[in-house]
Amino acid sequence: MIFKSIKWRLQLWYGLILVAVLVGFGATAYQLERNRVFRRVDEEIHHRLNALAQQLHRPHQLHGPPLGPLSGRPPADDRPPPEFPDDNGPPDSNRSHKFNLAPQVASLFDANDPNQFYFLIRGPDGKDIARSTNAPDEVEAVPMAPPYNQTTMVPGLPNDSKLLNHDGELRSAIPDGRQIQADQPVPQMRGSFREITIYLPSGEWILVGRSIKPELAELHLTALKLAGFGGAILFIGFAGGWVFVGRALRPISEISSTAAKISGGDLSQRINTTEAESELGQLAAVLNSTFARLETAFAQQKQFASDAAHELRTPVSVILTQTQTSLARERDAAGYRQTVEACQRAAQRMRRLIESLLELARFDAGQEVLNRLTFDFSQTVDDCVQMIQPLAEERRVKIISELQPLQMAGDSERLAQVVSNLLTNAIQYNRPDGEVRVKLAAQPGLAVLEISDTGKGIAREDMPHVFERFYRADKSRTGGNAGLGLSICKAIVEAHGGDIEVSSAENEGTKLLVRLPAGK
Amino acid sequence: MRLLIVEDEPDLLASLAQALREEGYAVDTAENGDDGIFNAEGTDYDAIVLDVMLPGMNGWEMLQRLRKTKKTPVLMLTARDQTRDRVKGLDIGADDYVVKPFDLEEVFARLRAIIRRSANKTTNLIEISNIKVDTAARQVSLLDQPVELTAREYSLVEFLALHRGEVVTRTQLYEHLFDENESSLSNLLDVHVSNVRKKLGAEFIVTRRGHGYCIE
Repeated sequence: MIFKSIKWRLQLWYGLILVAVLVGFGATAYQLERNRVFRRVDEEIHHRLNALAQQLHRPHQLHGPPLGPLSGRPPADDRPPPEFPDDNGPPDSNRSHKFNLAPQVASLFDANDPNQFYFLIRGPDGKDIARSTNAPDEVEAVPMAPPYNQTTMVPGLPNDSKLLNHDGELRSAIPDGRQIQADQPVPQMRGSFREITIYLPSGEWILVGRSIKPELAELHLTALKLAGFGGAILFIGFAGGWVFVGRALRPISEISSTAAKISGGDLSQRINTTEAESELGQLAAVLNSTFARLETAFAQQKQFASDAAHELRTPVSVILTQTQTSLARERDAAGYRQTVEACQRAAQRMRRLIESLLELARFDAGQEVLNRLTFDFSQTVDDCVQMIQPLAEERRVKIISELQPLQMAGDSERLAQVVSNLLTNAIQYNRPDGEVRVKLAAQPGLAVLEISDTGKGIAREDMPHVFERFYRADKSRTGGNAGLGLSICKAIVEAHGGDIEVSSAENEGTKLLVRLPAGK
Repeated sequence: MRLLIVEDEPDLLASLAQALREEGYAVDTAENGDDGIFNAEGTDYDAIVLDVMLPGMNGWEMLQRLRKTKKTPVLMLTARDQTRDRVKGLDIGADDYVVKPFDLEEVFARLRAIIRRSANKTTNLIEISNIKVDTAARQVSLLDQPVELTAREYSLVEFLALHRGEVVTRTQLYEHLFDENESSLSNLLDVHVSNVRKKLGAEFIVTRRGHGYCIE
């Protein structure tokens, strides 16, 4: 369940990466620090080893009997190793010094501090030649480990090729003078002591060591710091990630809850798009506009259905009251005839309404197929004018037509419907002795039909609504018109790819302008 | 009882008027709000049946204007069944409404109800000593025996019964029993009164000379 969540999966993924990076980084940093600390200690140990070794092999620098032959001669001969009589040299507070350290060497050791460097020099006979007081009791110089210099004393090389160079560093030199780097003596860890033992060609062992407790403590602290630092980074990473991912994903939960509400029927819901720049914000904006269109479409459908029902109420009322009245008692033939005629009128009205509704519904659904043929639009308009002439004469309205021959492609029957509808309106809403002007003109690529009347015009507040379904400026239903005529005209014109617009001046008249593409 | 019907659909208006006349009402008609308000302000109707959607002044506007001067009960006919439309009509001062399409029976009943309420009556039965007037059945009985009355006679009894204790002038009676198209012959009313007295007893309707008639 939890791993199905994007939030958790993201968290887990970059959490793992973060942990890997931090562990790698921390381990490396710790290792580097450790190496640095140990190298520093080792260097100091080497420094001291060398000093001791030098002193051992330069008896003239020692206060006491000579240490024996220098390494220039093979140590493997049978000469006894140099002796360091216990009582040799001046008495020293540093009792363990069986031989006197040169002051500059002694200064390298602080015998009183157990945490300072200590040394142990052991002769080839296994007896300690010298030992610093602060050397731990358990320190054993020989054999702590296999003599590191076994490898150094390469078989075949003369033993005396082991040389101390002028720095006291141990070198091995092959006879022809080429030098190779001898193996560094290997530092040993014994508990918290770090020690290095060297084997001198003369047979002595020198061990120098030091307690590295402080360094270990320091390293421990470093490790703790690194761990703390890593933990903090990890925490910040996780917390920040949690917040960011949560914030980034919040639109999703908002989208889903809004969508749920909408599918529950509340179309007015919108997604709150505060983060419009993010990808999800854009998605939300797209969804919102979809929801808005859906809501508008639904509202229009609802309005349409309720308007349609509303329009049907009156004819149904007529039929009900007429029949109920008529049936309340016996009538004569004329009475029944009246009732039947009224019912017929109501039924005709309903039929017209239903036809209009179906027509509009087909246009809405894009199912209305236009029978596109090339025809002379001026002829169609003229036919309509001729057909409407009786109505015009009845209303004492004069039709003035000014028609330019115009071949165009379109559904001539549908366009004739538009023209006669507009003409009927122009006559019906005209004043007696008024005029209707019909003008058809060809413009580049366009057929422009203009029908203007001299009626009382359309009130300003009605202008935006004239093409709306069921909208009637005069609110009466005396014309038997449901207010769908102009809507149907608009639908037909738009299905042809044209447009229709209305302009009106109150008490001067109304002008309807139809523009149709005249494409062949 | 005299009614005014304001309705712009001619077939509906005609059949409503016919049905209500056959119910015994005196009915005046108007096809638009302007004629409607002219009639409604000029005559004391017992009730007005008013359509909302009208050419000219619409039903709401007409009602609003009427309420400034008259308390005539108004039954709204509306093709709009949305709550806000009904609420609007009632708030402006309509007494009741009927949604189109309607059954005539319902219109009759609602009209009786608003007329009854305006006369401060709670039931359709009015009892005056041993005479009962059932306004729903349009039936008058004496000692529990039904009495045959003509429609006009019944209307006269009903109007006087609803205004029991009040002196009703001859002018009022003419206004409420005859519609605008009937020529009001002054002795026609006397004929009706004397016929009712014959059927229900001479003392049922008292003549207040110089004032009018009264049921005590």
